[in-house]
Amino acid sequence: MKNSTLIKGTAAIAVGAALLLGGGGTLAAWNAEATATPGTIVSGDLDVVNATSAGVWKDRAGATINIANYKVVPGDKLTYTQDLTVTLVGDKMAANITTTGITPTNGFTSANVSVTGPALTIGTTPVSNPLTPKGSAQTVTATITFEFLSTTSGRANVDASYNFNNVAFQLQQVVAGSGLVAQS
Amino acid sequence: MRIKRPLQAAALIAAAVLLGLLTVQGTYALWSSSASAAPGTVASASFDVALTAVPSGQATTMSLASGQPANLAISPEGTLSPGGSVYGGVVIANNTNAGGAFTTAVTVGPAVVSNVSGGTLAQYVTVNAKSAASAAECTATGSYPPLGSAGLVSPAVAKGGSTVFCFQASLSPSAPSTVKGQAVNITLPLTARQLCGVPGGC
Repeated sequence: MKNSTLIKGTAAIAVGAALLLGGGGTLAAWNAEATATPGTIVSGDLDVVNATSAGVWKDRAGATINIANYKVVPGDKLTYTQDLTVTLVGDKMAANITTTGITPTNGFTSANVSVTGPALTIGTTPVSNPLTPKGSAQTVTATITFEFLSTTSGRANVDASYNFNNVAFQLQQVVAGSGLVAQS
Repeated sequence: MRIKRPLQAAALIAAAVLLGLLTVQGTYALWSSSASAAPGTVASASFDVALTAVPSGQATTMSLASGQPANLAISPEGTLSPGGSVYGGVVIANNTNAGGAFTTAVTVGPAVVSNVSGGTLAQYVTVNAKSAASAAECTATGSYPPLGSAGLVSPAVAKGGSTVFCFQASLSPSAPSTVKGQAVNITLPLTARQLCGVPGGC
């Protein structure tokens, strides 16, 4: 029993010594090394902001008006435009821009007004989703029209108001093309 | 027995992890950004037409706050005698607060002459009318065309502007003496309507 223990202990010491010897650098043969430089990975960008702090209201003739003190009458047609700056950077970047639409507080008789939009355009061309990087920020214009119809009769809707509240614009990255996979 | 228990525990953990991943599927969304605009509130104008009678000086808006049409008493001065006339008028102002152009036209309809207290004077009374630039013209000066069934339409009245209708009530020279001391009520309906003051809007 004692011999067995002694043998085991001696063997363990021998193995340990062998491992110590193996870890030493002094027994190395030829070796060489080389390095690679994978470079730096840079992420792209996706952003949408209002190009100006406030949009612009114009009347039918194209004259700029201050909606805070402008009073419409039947026959008036007003146009609101808000420019949005869309930044898209990334080799495989693609994104859809959408709007949540208008949820107004409407004090007019619905039949007496016509409200359209927001319509999204780049220049005068309707937005074709998905948007892709163009090398620089893109300007998307949101347009809303409000027309107080000239068919309004009597004194209908005098001193009425139509509050557009907030109109939101959402820029959402989408998977377009090969090499980019959405997790699921 | 010793192996089975750890396997069960591992399976339970795996199931929990899977369930957890499934319930947070929304968090793997791609990039997104949002902006919002506040176009503001569009407010409509008032259709405010102010009337002032001449010579009574009574003033009112054409439509009362209740929405009902107002009544305005012109109350011409003097009395009618056969072949004679009395004069009065109304100054009509376009007091809208419209932001853009808002031009109106005012029409006075045919006069309705009605007897008072069973008299017979009405059939001898005729009403003529003319448009004028000021209330000072509502006198015997100038000609007063008959106020026919088509009524009389004012020139266009721009925002902030006014127009005047002058009226002449005449008693026929052939009125008999039996109508002496009688009176008539003369009703003249006034209507203001918006012209197409918004370029291209109508």
